Amino acid sequence: MNDEQQQAFEQCLYRFVGRQVCARTAAKDAVNEAMIRHWAETVGDANPAYTDAQWAARSARGRIIAPPAMMYSWNQEGFPVVAQGRAPDAQTELVDLFNENGFTGVLGTNVKQEYYKEIGLGERVHLEMVIDNISEQKATARGIGYFFETLASFSDQHGDLIGTQRFRVLKFIPPETAAAADGGGAEQDTLQTPTRIAAPRGHDNSWWWEACDQGQVLIQRCRNCQTLRHPPRPMCGECQSLDWDSIESCLEGELLSFTELHHPRIPGYPLPLICGVIRLREGVNLVANIVGAEEQALAIGMRVQGKVEQVDEKTMLPQFYPAENGVEK
Amino acid sequence: MVANIKDKAVICGIGNTEFSKNSGVSELNLAVRACKAALDDAGLSPADVDGMVTFTMDTSDEIEVARALGVGEMTFYGRAHYGGGAATATLHQAAMAVATGMAETVLCYRALNGRSGHRFSSGVSGTITTADAIHWGWYTPYGLLTPASWVGMFTQRWMHLTGVTKDALYEVAKATRDYAANNPAAFFHGQTFDRAEYDAQRMISTPLQLFDCCQESDGGSAVLVTTPERARDLRQSGVAIRGVAQCAARDQEQMTSFYRQEFAGIPEMERAARDAYAMSGLGPEDIDAAVIYDAFSSIVLWQLEAWDFCGFGESGDFVQDGALRPGGRLPVNTHGGQLSEAYIHGVNGIVEAVRLVRGTSVNQPAKTVEHALVTSGVGIPTGGALLGKQD
Amino acid sequence: MTDYRTLAFEEVEVGDKLPSLEIEITTGLIVSTALATRDFEPVHHDKAVAQATGLPDVFMNILTSQSFMTRFVTDWSGPEAVVKSVDIRLGAPNVPGMVMTVTGRVQAKDDDAGEVEVAVAGENNIWGMHMEGCVRLQLPGS
Ligand SMILES: [Zn+2]
Repeated sequence: MNDEQQQAFEQCLYRFVGRQVCARTAAKDAVNEAMIRHWAETVGDANPAYTDAQWAARSARGRIIAPPAMMYSWNQEGFPVVAQGRAPDAQTELVDLFNENGFTGVLGTNVKQEYYKEIGLGERVHLEMVIDNISEQKATARGIGYFFETLASFSDQHGDLIGTQRFRVLKFIPPETAAAADGGGAEQDTLQTPTRIAAPRGHDNSWWWEACDQGQVLIQRCRNCQTLRHPPRPMCGECQSLDWDSIESCLEGELLSFTELHHPRIPGYPLPLICGVIRLREGVNLVANIVGAEEQALAIGMRVQGKVEQVDEKTMLPQFYPAENGVEK
Repeated sequence: MVANIKDKAVICGIGNTEFSKNSGVSELNLAVRACKAALDDAGLSPADVDGMVTFTMDTSDEIEVARALGVGEMTFYGRAHYGGGAATATLHQAAMAVATGMAETVLCYRALNGRSGHRFSSGVSGTITTADAIHWGWYTPYGLLTPASWVGMFTQRWMHLTGVTKDALYEVAKATRDYAANNPAAFFHGQTFDRAEYDAQRMISTPLQLFDCCQESDGGSAVLVTTPERARDLRQSGVAIRGVAQCAARDQEQMTSFYRQEFAGIPEMERAARDAYAMSGLGPEDIDAAVIYDAFSSIVLWQLEAWDFCGFGESGDFVQDGALRPGGRLPVNTHGGQLSEAYIHGVNGIVEAVRLVRGTSVNQPAKTVEHALVTSGVGIPTGGALLGKQD
Repeated sequence: MTDYRTLAFEEVEVGDKLPSLEIEITTGLIVSTALATRDFEPVHHDKAVAQATGLPDVFMNILTSQSFMTRFVTDWSGPEAVVKSVDIRLGAPNVPGMVMTVTGRVQAKDDDAGEVEVAVAGENNIWGMHMEGCVRLQLPGS
């Protein structure tokens, strides 16, 4: 799309702002016990405010209420959508306009419901909806696109406002490479639990990771001058000897620093996750996760004790816990 | 002490593309346009260029840039390693080439789609095949995958040792935001900022929150370096490279030197500072303004200490006394820095440092800027350059 | 009859953590909850249609994510709490075979309105964040 084409497209696009998707329409069913029970069973919600008439009668409300999260459900079109498709409205027109211009990707990004009034059995929800706003063009992680937001207003049989829902949708141009890369369809039927990104193993470090797999943390030692070194490397920086062996660490140490990871989320890593630098009693540093304590409970200088543990299906790693006898001077 | 090439190379042209979150063009396109802008600034043509330097990380090869730009014979081309540590290393290589006569006019450039293309914040991937894959393997299994996580680890210890608080980190961020508000090229142009907004942002990696972290931007920047003789005849007054240095120190890793006995420090920058000061014959008292690499707020503080503007642990008080501000002891990152203008891997910072010496920054301090410092990224092998008006 | 207790506004402190909830995502759950919220879009019950959109299987509809978010919070607060708003940022889909863990923490209190704001995140074990956001609740005074 060149600048002129984009201008022409946006001119059509922004005309949709403020357009009504549906006029105020009554739900086919009044709020009723059966549909609430169906919802409560499937969601596993045992809240007696929705389903226990006896309790509800004695409660502050004095009656059963509809689950707030069902607010939109009452006006859903239901099965005819499958059989006949959705009747054209401003929103379907808007989606068509996006699709025709290459913005075929769709992603619901945000939904916000606000509730002003609880409703009881026999009351009837009315819905009206407008296209509230459309963003300027944005570069998103999914691709170039626009966000549009619909605003649904819910009212009762008297016209009193029950609540609102804002739904934000991204329409974007899907990157061609993505379609090509997964062969154009999703054949992966089995989902694998992601694991930590493993260290590549080579001549200089595989022995360390193999020991770790077996539950040991080793420290490389120069056979000539006995200097310990970590991470492993082929030559001793003190005496240039290529000859080495290793000792097993006791995994007692002092916490030199730590950081709690919050963002970005990467599959395989349970966030927040604390990483620390530990000065082992043997004198070398080791980077590892700190577990068994909240970040607020950690302090630089604190004593920690490590254990090699399985952290996911494929990964054994040393992890450190605060030592029982507290902070070291 | 390293060899002295004081004033033997002069910056005669600077250029930026526009900065954005979505350039819509290739990185090569950005590189070529930044280079052309630097040539236009100098009043030179591509035919005058006989050398080029960029980052190892840059995806636009020197010969691709040369072909697109119409450069003829190049007698020198080189690359500088280690991410943002390469920023002033490009000047270092260009100055060496010019000083030794290996080339006469050298373009330094860096262009990236840092937001719409590969984002550093997304972390080192599981499929790294480079020679330092083994190195990253000591960190990836634990989740230390992003620059923010590595710098967070250093920052936490440094704050513990010095007692410096988030107040100082905020002041670094706030100063760049105030400069950026007045810079039409900056991402945060025209926007206000306060402590409540800073505090309200999400945590990235403790203690770093969102606005302790730089932009991710699309754009290109270029700087043209030539001989003092040639620079005298050009459109702009020359900005001489008074001192330039780089250093990789003992037990250095890329962003993760956690295995040093004391890792809350940047000894590589201390050495580079000593060498650059010695080469130029200048000291911290001679520096009027600076562009200090600010991928994260905290790293500006360490560099103020490494360049001896204040002692270890004193940078918090230094900045909280207003030193970085327009009328302060050392106006810093007057373009808004990478926190608030754009993240072009420090080369937009060299452009700003040249403007400070020329007197053309959008936030030019009232005092005369005889000498400006510009630095590279830290946590990695790094360096810096001292620039001054050509005699 | 079970005696349902409701937390009083004064009992709740900013920083309080809610008991986490694990939800096993099955085809049965996805289809049943979609229909219970009257969402008959085929992607929520027809695997072939879902796969044509690039996903491995049917996936949970948004009304159900909202439902789990309110359920999670009222499970903790008790039934006299009044839900005032549910604000969700949507992430990766929930697909059969996953387990979603929902966690929450009180992030703010509004003394004038008697309302608490609970930050909630639902994360599945395969693709990470499914939903993230906050629920505002009005609690009775003690
Ligand atoms: Zn040795």
